[in-house]
Amino acid sequence: MNAKTLMEKIGLPVFKYLTLILGVLVAVLPLLVIFFGSFKTGTELRTTGPFDLPQNWLNFSNYIQAVDRGNMLLGFFNTTIVLVVSVFGTVMVGSMTAYVLNRFDFKFNKLVMALFLIAALVPGVTTQVATFQVVNALGLFNTQWSAILLYMGTDIISIYIFIQFLDSIPKDLDEAAIVDGASYFTIFTKIILPLLKPAIVTVLIIRGVAIYNDFYTPFLYMPKTSLGTISTALFRFKGPFINQWEIISAGIIIAMIPTLLVFLFLQKYIYNGLVKGSIR
Amino acid sequence: MKRTYQTIVVALLVFMMIISAACTTPTAAPTKAAEPTKAAEPQAEPTKAPEATKAPEPTAAPAKPSGTITVLTNRTDIVDTVFVEYAKKFNEIYPDIKVEFEALRDYVGEVQIRMNTTDYGDVLLIPDTITLDKLSDYFLPLGTVADLDAKYNFVMSGKYYQDQVYGIAMTGNFQGVACNKKVFEAAGITANPKSPEEFIAAMQLIKDKTDAIPLYTNYAAGWPMTQWEGQVQSVSGDPDYNAIMAHMDAPFSPGEPHYIIYKLLYDLVKAGLTEEDPTTTDWETSKQMIADGKVGCMVTGSWSITQYQGLAKDPADIIYIPFPSNKDGKIYAAAGGDYNVAVNKNSKNPEAAMAWLWWFLNESNYAYDQGGIPPLKTAELPSTLDSFKAANVIFVANNPAPAGEEAFWSNIDKEAETGLWTEKPGQRIIDAARGATTESFDDIMNELNAKWAAARVKLGIK
Amino acid sequence: MENIQKSTKPFVTFSRRTKKQDQIFTMILFLLAPILLLFVFTYIPVFNMFGYSLNKWDGYSKAKEFIGLQNYIELFTRPELFRVFGVSIYYFVASFIQLALALYFATILSFDVRLKNFFKGVLFFPYLINGVAVGFIFLYFFKPDGVLDLIMVSLGLGDYVQQWLGNRAIINYSLAGVSIWRYMGLNFVMFMGAIQSIPSEIYEASSLDGANRWQQFKHIIFPSIFPIISLSLLLAIRGSLAVFEIPYIMTGGANGSSTFVIQTVDMAFKNQKFGLASAMAVVLLLITLILAGVQNLIFKDKNAGSN
Repeated sequence: MNAKTLMEKIGLPVFKYLTLILGVLVAVLPLLVIFFGSFKTGTELRTTGPFDLPQNWLNFSNYIQAVDRGNMLLGFFNTTIVLVVSVFGTVMVGSMTAYVLNRFDFKFNKLVMALFLIAALVPGVTTQVATFQVVNALGLFNTQWSAILLYMGTDIISIYIFIQFLDSIPKDLDEAAIVDGASYFTIFTKIILPLLKPAIVTVLIIRGVAIYNDFYTPFLYMPKTSLGTISTALFRFKGPFINQWEIISAGIIIAMIPTLLVFLFLQKYIYNGLVKGSIR
Repeated sequence: MKRTYQTIVVALLVFMMIISAACTTPTAAPTKAAEPTKAAEPQAEPTKAPEATKAPEPTAAPAKPSGTITVLTNRTDIVDTVFVEYAKKFNEIYPDIKVEFEALRDYVGEVQIRMNTTDYGDVLLIPDTITLDKLSDYFLPLGTVADLDAKYNFVMSGKYYQDQVYGIAMTGNFQGVACNKKVFEAAGITANPKSPEEFIAAMQLIKDKTDAIPLYTNYAAGWPMTQWEGQVQSVSGDPDYNAIMAHMDAPFSPGEPHYIIYKLLYDLVKAGLTEEDPTTTDWETSKQMIADGKVGCMVTGSWSITQYQGLAKDPADIIYIPFPSNKDGKIYAAAGGDYNVAVNKNSKNPEAAMAWLWWFLNESNYAYDQGGIPPLKTAELPSTLDSFKAANVIFVANNPAPAGEEAFWSNIDKEAETGLWTEKPGQRIIDAARGATTESFDDIMNELNAKWAAARVKLGIK
Repeated sequence: MENIQKSTKPFVTFSRRTKKQDQIFTMILFLLAPILLLFVFTYIPVFNMFGYSLNKWDGYSKAKEFIGLQNYIELFTRPELFRVFGVSIYYFVASFIQLALALYFATILSFDVRLKNFFKGVLFFPYLINGVAVGFIFLYFFKPDGVLDLIMVSLGLGDYVQQWLGNRAIINYSLAGVSIWRYMGLNFVMFMGAIQSIPSEIYEASSLDGANRWQQFKHIIFPSIFPIISLSLLLAIRGSLAVFEIPYIMTGGANGSSTFVIQTVDMAFKNQKFGLASAMAVVLLLITLILAGVQNLIFKDKNAGSN
């Protein structure tokens, strides 16, 4: 009995913290060596161990090279444009669809809903073979519209999230407005949209993370160097910098900075948002 | 209420316009894309005709072409330096053409994806995976075979179909093996190996007597594997070999060029004479290693010589020897065009694109700077060729396939998925030799033979 | 649904025609763009894909050659095209480890732990990192004489150092490991959310009954979050069939790390065999749909409840 309580009092917590620390090490070490490496010079990186601290923490030359030769700023610019436009579009499209499907009583609502439901099951990456032809036929290849419309058009999760959220908004609110003679437009923009704010935040986060990190869409549809996003710009580091891990490291860190900042400031929303979004 | 209603309508209309704008771009694009083809046909003739006949002096053009062109290149290493200089010089003659470069990391892989659309730059390099009969689907004709062959090297072995030439080699390579002279001296290798056996023995000497890795395959980079395919003509010594191969049932059997080449690669890896972990190596590092004498030899075309020399303390440390094989005592070396420069059929500025193409071939000195055989037959040969001339090496350039059979070889290769000009066969052989897979060398050869034969049957090529 | 019908009654009598018209107008306006996008970027590609799969087509020629089921026959008679599904097994097994780890960390972090938010954040953060960055980070990590080798040497495990990406027998373990590293955080946060939604009175009651942590886990936590665990598992199966990004970025599919999706896109864009590639995509789509059907069957009750 005594041994058991001792075990529970000390043994378990020790084990618990040991595993947690181990988990943290596994999560952090690969990132830490990259962070160190990004401040080292080329020869320093080759001659010192990955865990050795950089000699000069203010050596930003790798960062300058990564930004300058690696088109990272352009990447941020393009990513931002694509992200802002497509997330705005997703929110509009998603909330409008959800509003009609949730609040209107039309015969073919179920059909529309089913169409979206089935579409959600199609794994995007498999249909690229055919999607590519559609994008090309529309003349969208090598334009930002290809990525923007694809992100808007293939996102079903946000419609779900909006519908789920609409379920929780009492219908009395719209009804009262209808009685007041408001149009459905007004109801949507004046009443529904403001109430959807938490759902919009969720969609912003899910889509924001997904689009910021997406590699294949820009890689396949916007190969032009001037349309490079963060992902594709970083991917191209493999060519000219393949032997310069210090510059690649700087590029990795640059790509991670916005993610880290957003994470630190929006932690709570991110946890909630991603959990909601991943349960289809 | 009414006001807000209006603003909402406006807001939504704006939104709908964004969407419809996106949807109208497509309708606009095809017409734009269609225009150049219309314009290209009448224009292509005059541009190519005067340029082709009096190319070195591109004067007296009635109206100089203008516009922005995108030039795709595989040279990620010099796109921001040497190519920018080229553009400056080009602009002295054609001030109204803005040249933009795009260097593709995995050139063939990336350009192939883009070639499924109309947007693959204005001037580009023809990937060898495009079969000859499809050239006219992608590129503008540059002239007739007879006209251009009189003037340019490697036209006959290059990208033409039914008497129309679609691309001209930007430089000419010859095939051999790059080695570090100091390593050879330290290992006590005095004469250049002339057969696979002699070569293996020499590599063994390097392993035994030096710290250098005898031969570096560059497996991980993929494309260096294709350099072995380039040796086929060095081994066969027969300029018609590819045409013959298209009619062979078992071109991967003992005694045939591919077998000899692949066997050498296999034996080298099997004997531990290559890098220990081939999958994580990287090409840029290997260049420095051969320059520093940490690597003995690398099987790469002549185009690589200047790159190694540029990194070596003394450029003379890098020597280039013929591929270790002989036919009745005579040593051959395959020679052929590098990537062919061509103009996109869908180019919006075909005149400007043509102007760049001819200027790049005739004036830029790219080939000479890279130590290759220049495109113009009249141009001076680089000093990298001296060593080969001294060894009495006979250069073999591919003869054209008989009329009607131009696409046979590449079609079989594609249908059989043998991918002889890809990294596939080389990587597979290395994997087998280092024990990463269980297949034996003869298993691989038998399968290649079977696939080759089956593809010929399927395509009806006897 | 019933709610709406009931509620519409009062105003229907109020101004029947205009309201109905307004509703139709609004509906058309609101659904036009979404349905257009849905068809253009999902349904048309899927239907085209079925069409392509019955043709021999290089992707750009105007002429397609109808060859019936030839592509499917080729696909099913070439075992090497199917062999890549074997690679999925590595990721599939890895997803069990991933879920187990996520469950473990979610459980211990749901109770009293110092620096709870720190641990939660650090364990979750890898999920947010850009995929290309993740690929590069681990290329560096697995390099010969790289980070992993150094760690192993310093732990006295130097003899076990491997060519992590060079050895064909190991590469897929390494890549699946990267997959665990990248995706564990998401499952972990999902599980944690689910555990925290268990009313705390249940724990308190069980503590009074003298249940220890393991018993609490076994009898309270695990059963109450079982639905989300099995849902995660099904998603993991679907995910392991569609593995693409990590191997594509890290190895390009070389050295036996190619997956079915990599093979499909290469078949289309590099071999220009759009017909065969479409047939491959159709097969994968059908497998995915079947799995989704299974998922729906299992979770029918739950869905009905939430609606």
